[in-house]
Amino acid sequence: MIQVENLAKKFGSLRAVDGISFQVERGVLFGLLGPNGAGKTTTINVLSTLLPPDEGKVTIGGYEVRLDPAAVRRLIGIVPQEIALYQDLAARDNLLFWGRLYGLAGKDLGRRVDELLELADLHQQAKQKVETFSGGMKRRLNLVAGLVHSPEILYLDEPTVGIDAQARSRILEMIRELSNRGMTVIYTTHYLEEAEQLCDRIGVIDKGRMVALGDKEQLIDQVGDQDIIRLHLPQDAHKEFMEDFAESTDCLGVRIFRGKIEVCTVDGARMLPGIQAWLSSRNLDLQQLEVERPNLETLYLNLTGRDLRE
Amino acid sequence: MVIFSVAGKDLLRFLGDRRALVVSLALPLVLTFIMGLSFGGGLFGKSGISAIKIALVAEGIPELLRDRFTEGLEESGFFSVSWVDSNAADFLVRNGEVSAAVVLPDDFLRQALSFEEIPILIWKDPGSSLKAGIVEEVLSRGLREYQAGEAAYLGLWPEDAAAAGDSSAVDLVEKYFEGAFSTLWQSWREVENDSSWAEFQERTARIMDRQVALVEALGQPGIELEVQDKVSDQDVSQSEDINLFNYFLPTFAVFFLMFGVAGATGDFHRERKMGTLQRQLMSPLRALEFVLGKWLSASLQGSLQLMVLFLGGAILFQVNLGPDPWSLPLAIVLTCTAATGFFLLLTLLCRDEKMADNLKTIVVLISAMLGGNMVPVDSLPPWISAVGQFFFNYWANLSFSHILVSNRNIFEEPQPLLILFGATIGLLGASLIVFILRQRRGGLL
Repeated sequence: MIQVENLAKKFGSLRAVDGISFQVERGVLFGLLGPNGAGKTTTINVLSTLLPPDEGKVTIGGYEVRLDPAAVRRLIGIVPQEIALYQDLAARDNLLFWGRLYGLAGKDLGRRVDELLELADLHQQAKQKVETFSGGMKRRLNLVAGLVHSPEILYLDEPTVGIDAQARSRILEMIRELSNRGMTVIYTTHYLEEAEQLCDRIGVIDKGRMVALGDKEQLIDQVGDQDIIRLHLPQDAHKEFMEDFAESTDCLGVRIFRGKIEVCTVDGARMLPGIQAWLSSRNLDLQQLEVERPNLETLYLNLTGRDLRE
Repeated sequence: MVIFSVAGKDLLRFLGDRRALVVSLALPLVLTFIMGLSFGGGLFGKSGISAIKIALVAEGIPELLRDRFTEGLEESGFFSVSWVDSNAADFLVRNGEVSAAVVLPDDFLRQALSFEEIPILIWKDPGSSLKAGIVEEVLSRGLREYQAGEAAYLGLWPEDAAAAGDSSAVDLVEKYFEGAFSTLWQSWREVENDSSWAEFQERTARIMDRQVALVEALGQPGIELEVQDKVSDQDVSQSEDINLFNYFLPTFAVFFLMFGVAGATGDFHRERKMGTLQRQLMSPLRALEFVLGKWLSASLQGSLQLMVLFLGGAILFQVNLGPDPWSLPLAIVLTCTAATGFFLLLTLLCRDEKMADNLKTIVVLISAMLGGNMVPVDSLPPWISAVGQFFFNYWANLSFSHILVSNRNIFEEPQPLLILFGATIGLLGASLIVFILRQRRGGLL
């Protein structure tokens, strides 16, 4: 359904997207994961014909974006990162307008708008101006505005930014429902838990490059059977701890991250007694300790040496 | 059509925005109202345009009084007065050398002192009736004030001045009336001996600040102004009265329109900021449809603004709306489409909203100055007037002037409208090219 080959996009001397390739099959929920500024939105802008690619080839539903942008636009629906709605218009008027842009009119349009208001659970607020809505309500309306013409492919660019947990949960539920109906979805986020929870396939993007691509399980397997142990120690003990444990056979790596020591190990439980003994011998109190199983964050850390939220 | 969807959505937003409605419609209407009212007092005096030339015929009137009369007229700031005899005044009016002649009766003094009605004639050139109207208005107001002031002076001040040992005021009044004052004064003395004098004085003082009432209380004679036409020996092209606001309303209206349209076209950058522009560009909407939609909505908003102002002017100040029902609407629509094209192009050339706002403010003020919206084009130096022709508002002002001031059918002199039409097409085309170039370079994100 979507084929991206060696896509590159430059802004002056900055290569915002630097030769990425991936493909998304019909009905798949594909997560494009990366920190802010990684190139996710630029990729989406190229895929949605808003920006022409500088290099590479992008084909959507058999149409190349550079050659036949109009055909591509009819296939796709966009949910931008910002609330791209008219705040001074009613929810219903917004959806009517977006529907008209896709050639919908009359009763068909009215019916479709009612369906979407229902889907977003906003049918009772249909005549209210968007500016009176809560953040979650605006996000839901922003989402369904991208669905008004029943697109085959939906791009969701960080659709849960800046909303509370409850509203986020409702949005994710809607996206899952759309995916279950067979819609192809590209979902960009820097929230790992969302990508893990939702996506069938994931591409991890960093500094414009695709650093990992595959099914969620495959990617986590790449990290291997590793645990992360995080310790909060007095700062003057950091150097000694790192020197002592770097040589340990169980330790795959150790570093200081955000004031905490992180130890990457094949088995967290086996390593903990050793850490406890090291602390006791130095009369140090353990202020905080946590052990984390491998996940996408571990993968991202391994691949880039940085946290996604950095 | 999608163009109408884009324009309809913008109009819906405009009509739902109270602030925009106040700024675009109510505020210009209020300002126009105030400006309209202000024309009653001192247009030329304020604007520094040369004073209206009038002739004063005051034969048989003492020189001192004649001086005072002249001084009073010139103090108003409207007039440049010259004394002439009645024959010369007749000649000057007929030949358009003066806009009007004020003719005081030969026995003005006698009539004044015998409490008779004083007829003052204003001879006017029908081709210059606008200015003659100003003469009449100022003269009648000035005379009422003069009557009241003189009445108060005669009734109260000389006595006070004499009591204080200052005889100059009494002397001055006596000179005004060449001794007749003593007769008049004697009659007041007789009243003074009466026991009711104190009561009378008190009553007079109470009504002193009401000048017209004072005139009645002191029994001053009324003055009647009569206007007589002196038909020019030359060709008089303009025989009907001109409402000065016929000229000034369009210039104000176009000035307000420029601000209104500059704001409306600025919606492009606001949409860019909101992300709705990008969302539209990711839909099947084409660049042409978007640009035309934006242009249409801003043009309609501008047309609405102008129509409200012209209708307001017609209702409040009897502004002429032209000789037929289509000239003015056509001029309004073409003015608005050209204005929208102009400001849309400026908006698209600007990087962001702030830059666009700053540039448009400067451009509005410069084009208003050069195109004749601040100062009448005729009064500008020729080279500035020539530069002004490169601004759409110059042609808009000209077309409105043809319709409202000259009361001509717009098709009798179609050049301004043709230029506005051409400007609309050219500016719209340029806007579309700039939009497409920006879109291709990713400059709309």
